[in-house]
Amino acid sequence: MNTTVKLMISAALTGAALLGLSGCGGKGAPSDTLRVGVTNFADSLEPTDNYFGWVVVRYGIGECLTRFDEQMKPQPFLAESWRVSDDGLTWTFRIRDGVAFSNGRPLTAEAAKASIERVFEKSDRATTYFTYDSIEANGQDLTIRTAMPVPGLPGILADPLFLIIDTSVTDRDYRKDGPVATGPYVVKSFSRSHASLEANPHYWGGEVPFRHLEIPSIDDPNTRALSLQSGETDLIVNVSPGDLPLFEDKGKYTISEISSLRSVLARFNVAPGHILSDQRVRDALISACDRRTYADVLLKGTFIPGGPAVPPSLDYGFNELKDPNAYDPERAARLLEEAGWKDTDGDGIREKDGQKLELNYVYYSSRAELPLFAEATQADARKVGIDIKLQSVDYNVLDGMSKRGEYDLIISNILTANTGDPEVYLNWYWKTNADGRNPQNGSGYSNAEYDALSDALAVEFDPARRRDLIIRMQQILLDDGAAIIYGYPKTNMVFSSRIEGARILPADYYWITKDIRPAGL
Amino acid sequence: MRLRLLGKYVIQTVITLTGISFIMFAITMLGTEDLARQIITGAEDAVVSQEQIDAVTRELGLDQPFFVQFGHWMLNAVQGNLGFSYMARKPVVDKILESLPATLSLAALSLFLMTLLSLPLGILSAYHRNRLPDFLIRGVTFFGISIPGFWLGLMLLWFFGLKLGLFPIVSSTIRWDTVFLPALTLAISMTAKYTRQVRSAVLEELGQDYVMGARARGMSELRILLREVLPNALLPLVTLYGLSIGSLLGGAAVVEIVFGWQGLGLLAVKAIEYRDIRLLQGIVVWIAGMYMLINMLVDLSYALLDPRLRRKEVPHE
Repeated sequence: MNTTVKLMISAALTGAALLGLSGCGGKGAPSDTLRVGVTNFADSLEPTDNYFGWVVVRYGIGECLTRFDEQMKPQPFLAESWRVSDDGLTWTFRIRDGVAFSNGRPLTAEAAKASIERVFEKSDRATTYFTYDSIEANGQDLTIRTAMPVPGLPGILADPLFLIIDTSVTDRDYRKDGPVATGPYVVKSFSRSHASLEANPHYWGGEVPFRHLEIPSIDDPNTRALSLQSGETDLIVNVSPGDLPLFEDKGKYTISEISSLRSVLARFNVAPGHILSDQRVRDALISACDRRTYADVLLKGTFIPGGPAVPPSLDYGFNELKDPNAYDPERAARLLEEAGWKDTDGDGIREKDGQKLELNYVYYSSRAELPLFAEATQADARKVGIDIKLQSVDYNVLDGMSKRGEYDLIISNILTANTGDPEVYLNWYWKTNADGRNPQNGSGYSNAEYDALSDALAVEFDPARRRDLIIRMQQILLDDGAAIIYGYPKTNMVFSSRIEGARILPADYYWITKDIRPAGL
Repeated sequence: MRLRLLGKYVIQTVITLTGISFIMFAITMLGTEDLARQIITGAEDAVVSQEQIDAVTRELGLDQPFFVQFGHWMLNAVQGNLGFSYMARKPVVDKILESLPATLSLAALSLFLMTLLSLPLGILSAYHRNRLPDFLIRGVTFFGISIPGFWLGLMLLWFFGLKLGLFPIVSSTIRWDTVFLPALTLAISMTAKYTRQVRSAVLEELGQDYVMGARARGMSELRILLREVLPNALLPLVTLYGLSIGSLLGGAAVVEIVFGWQGLGLLAVKAIEYRDIRLLQGIVVWIAGMYMLINMLVDLSYALLDPRLRRKEVPHE
């Protein structure tokens, strides 16, 4: 019997071992292949569906007339320059000479016109950015006329929704094969889990550094990091903070890191009857929060400490703005005393007119940093005699609670400017909700000067004046203590010493570019 | 008789699936005040215009009363249309079918590995009851049950992928070498569970009179084991096996996330992340349907596997 059982066991173990050995590593790709580990949400490369245009641009397949630089300012791309008429209604974009689609067809203003018109035919999202009266093509000049002034048009056209494709190609399944566009790479095969691409032989920006491009989708950040360590990928996007120390060896890896376009902030309910309607209490609460420690210690340096509403990745006065409520717990205590909140019963929590200084703080947990900020605020507030009750809610009910003002503080992690301009974001949260016209502002916050600046911003074209308006709006928010801006998350890409030229930008569209090349080339 | 039995199963299945669909629909639709915005922005918490929100609300009929929405959904579902995935921009059924090859290959290989490991270990443990091999195996299975899947998966990736370089870390395509580590991760925790079950089932059978009788007749131990003990011992395991298959066909989310394995589990997690409720509803109905189908097959298989049940049927004919 024993022999039989032993035989069975050895058979099983041998089988398992054989299975184990039969695996092959698949390391060390040829030098003409670039391998990039990403997370991908798109099932299709049809740029007008959903946000799939993002992937077309991220993978180096498509390009727009303009592109965002590291300050989120629109720069020439397929358009080499542009101008706007004095009345602000006519924009003329000069299309770059010598650009061709990947099928060799030259890019003309006529082709760009057809591409933009296709976006308006197929996507509901297009009209939420702007509407046009007419688009005309004349040689390399593309003229867009709008009924209303659209100050941010060059930035809007940098959104991947408006990437330029050859619409004359009709015998192609865009979803699987991608559109025919002008980027450095063309699709060989695509699925959500894996994309294979090849160099575009007609690329206008010079010879493409890699002949092949492989993009596996690796959703788990730990596994993505392992894939770079094992050499199966050359570049990975978004490494989790805990894994970044793995790549500190500068001889082997380069980390490219930048503040994203997001802000994490807790808005205050300042409606009459709420404790936080008293500015002194708001100022005290902000002053009590040690935001630098939150960013550097709690979040291990993955956040930039907060101040103004708009992140430093956007050039809207981050360094000029003055935060009157910098960390100063003694000032916080003083302000609370002035406001009449005193700890009369010695329990560490202040009272006024028989009411405890108790605040309800609403947060959700699907973003890991939010509970940390909430708990840290609770701890710091307690030190100055404010009792914060934390209320964890599902993300699904957050908007409703925020609109109805069912909170004293409510935290969110919000994308501030995906077209390079924070106008919508600044209005959304803090413009007065007069007659229910801005329901997203359920905080009761209202400042006539702020609203006037917002109205001026809506019709202002000049970038310098827009910048000035936005800076003034942010200063009002800071002076009013309208919210605690905790910080701005950083985003990153890490690549091996095999390649160079990769760089993360605040706009999350530019992952694979022609600048990424084998090291030493 | 068989027909009547089958009919009973079908009716049961329809009632249960309707109930599950209702509960699932109610849960996914409850507390989603701003579903439209969340559908538009997916995993990104971005600001969107009210026009976009209104358009999606209309498009998906989210402004309709709950029962109208449920009625529409059910009516389509019985015709095989589980709705349209907002995240993928394609029919939910297509998305589920796309994930099937990955799910099936993972399920098949992990069950195979589990059987390959747990049967010999369980038998060995039973034959050496309360002796060293038994203690060792039970000790190891105790750890196997306790280890969380995501940790085990990462450790296997780290050891076999990074340190030994035997397997690729990126599993974005279905290949023999990419499916092995995720399957092994699943198989290890299942093996721990099954080894203990096999052990107790074999122990129970070994104590039966017929084993003593067989030994008295001079039958070889191997023959007793393979011909007499195993078939009887495995019968109670069929139910457990069925449950495991059902669970594997619903996707193994944790392991699939770690390995980036594009199965149903990962799809379900993505659907939650992107608030793609139609896709989520479709996956839940699929999982429920799979469980019911497997349960039915397990029940029917008893009649084939257990001669006593076959005989009991005769008087009813």
